[in-house]
Amino acid sequence: MALKLIKSAKALYEGLMTVFVHLFRKPVTLEYPEKRRILNDAFRGKPEVNGCVGCGICKKVCPSGAINYKKDENGKVYFYEFDLKKCIFCGNCAYYCPKAAIKMTGEYELACDNPQGLKLDYKGGIND
Amino acid sequence: MTTTRLKLNLGPQHPSTHGVLRLLLELEGEKIISCEPDIGYLHRGMEKMAEKMTYIQYLPLVDRIDYLAGFFYSELLCRIVEQALCIELPDKVRAIRVMLLEMNRISSHLLWIGAFLMDLGAVSPFFYAFREREMILRYFEKLTGQRMMYNYFVFGGVRKDIDYLEDVEYIVSYLPQKLDEYEKIITENPIFLRRTEGKGILEPDTAYSFAITGANLRASGIDDDYRKSDYLYKGFDFKPIVLDNKDSWARYKARVLEIRESLNIISQALDYLKKADKLEQRLINPINLKLPQGDYSAEIEAPRGLACCFVRSDGQEKPYRLKWRTGSYYSVNLLRELLKGEYLNDAIAIAGSLDIILPEVDK
Repeated sequence: MALKLIKSAKALYEGLMTVFVHLFRKPVTLEYPEKRRILNDAFRGKPEVNGCVGCGICKKVCPSGAINYKKDENGKVYFYEFDLKKCIFCGNCAYYCPKAAIKMTGEYELACDNPQGLKLDYKGGIND
Repeated sequence: MTTTRLKLNLGPQHPSTHGVLRLLLELEGEKIISCEPDIGYLHRGMEKMAEKMTYIQYLPLVDRIDYLAGFFYSELLCRIVEQALCIELPDKVRAIRVMLLEMNRISSHLLWIGAFLMDLGAVSPFFYAFREREMILRYFEKLTGQRMMYNYFVFGGVRKDIDYLEDVEYIVSYLPQKLDEYEKIITENPIFLRRTEGKGILEPDTAYSFAITGANLRASGIDDDYRKSDYLYKGFDFKPIVLDNKDSWARYKARVLEIRESLNIISQALDYLKKADKLEQRLINPINLKLPQGDYSAEIEAPRGLACCFVRSDGQEKPYRLKWRTGSYYSVNLLRELLKGEYLNDAIAIAGSLDIILPEVDK
């Protein structure tokens, strides 16, 4: 019994000392709106389209149906539309794009007061 | 004197039920007479969703089945496709996958330690566990682009070559001393011992009849680790953690020891990867991917027990049927048996010790 009591007291003391040491450590968190983390290039944020040829692979691999395309009156040029409300930022479109036209940028603060701000339009592509 | 039985709803929004789980308890005084788990509050239709999606569209979503151990489920779906198309993985891909899976296991166990201790009323270990887990998540973010929804494994390999190995090296050297710190605070603490020792005893027979797998089973003294017969882990030297205590404390200890064993596996994979050449893998074109007609199944030892995936293909580009077996589902069912005869204030401690993740249960 006495042995158990001593053992318990020792365990409690050791535990409390470990916790106590943490009072003098530097904080590991950042105060978010003032300080921001530097993100890596690989980060998958808002997609960016540049140099699209209109092959349609991104629409095919998108799991959430965030990408749509439509033809214009001449039936030649595609209008790509990324709906960021649906996008789950999986990066499939960027990975499978044969021309590396889609890039995932480091932009992650996408809240806005206008739903149109969450739609990315891209006009371009060749379809001859 | 007559006693009346009280029916009590524990959850679905009790802060200690991980996710949303409702336990319908029947109490006599403070003693639990019966327990009826009620699940389904987090059901997202993961299995049905697969039937109208191509394999490549479904792959990013499987990370969300268990958001704490996403790599395991994408690995399972990749395995199904690789098995169906007879793709053999190069050694480097195997090493990369093993390393990431084990790091994911550590991050999952660390979160469990924090959450379990929080259930018992200890707040500081939660913050310490999160601090260490953050290092692993930062590494995952650097490598894959996101912290929890990785989408890094692809059919036949990985998305890009492994990088930032110095970070892994640092984690492997840093974590053991932090684990010692946790053990100092937790393992011998008399308050922790009184709430876990001898509580929620899981007999091997009960464990078998409820199909319990993973660390919960191994803490009941049964040496059963699927990793031993897994082709991915061929060539890695490790031993399964088996403890004989059978109680909540053993389940805690088994997970702490499992983290140490995982670090051992990671350092073996790291040694290989540091010397390995550039990544060469044979990826398949996923755009028109069709699996041959037939049934396929794959298993893996996930942090919460054996996880399986079953796919029936009718030769189309979408699966005809897809089913998941997840470890937590069986652990929730076990609460019927484990809570019987225990006191109400131990209910959360016992439920917490089983490492239940509700998105995995409801799918």
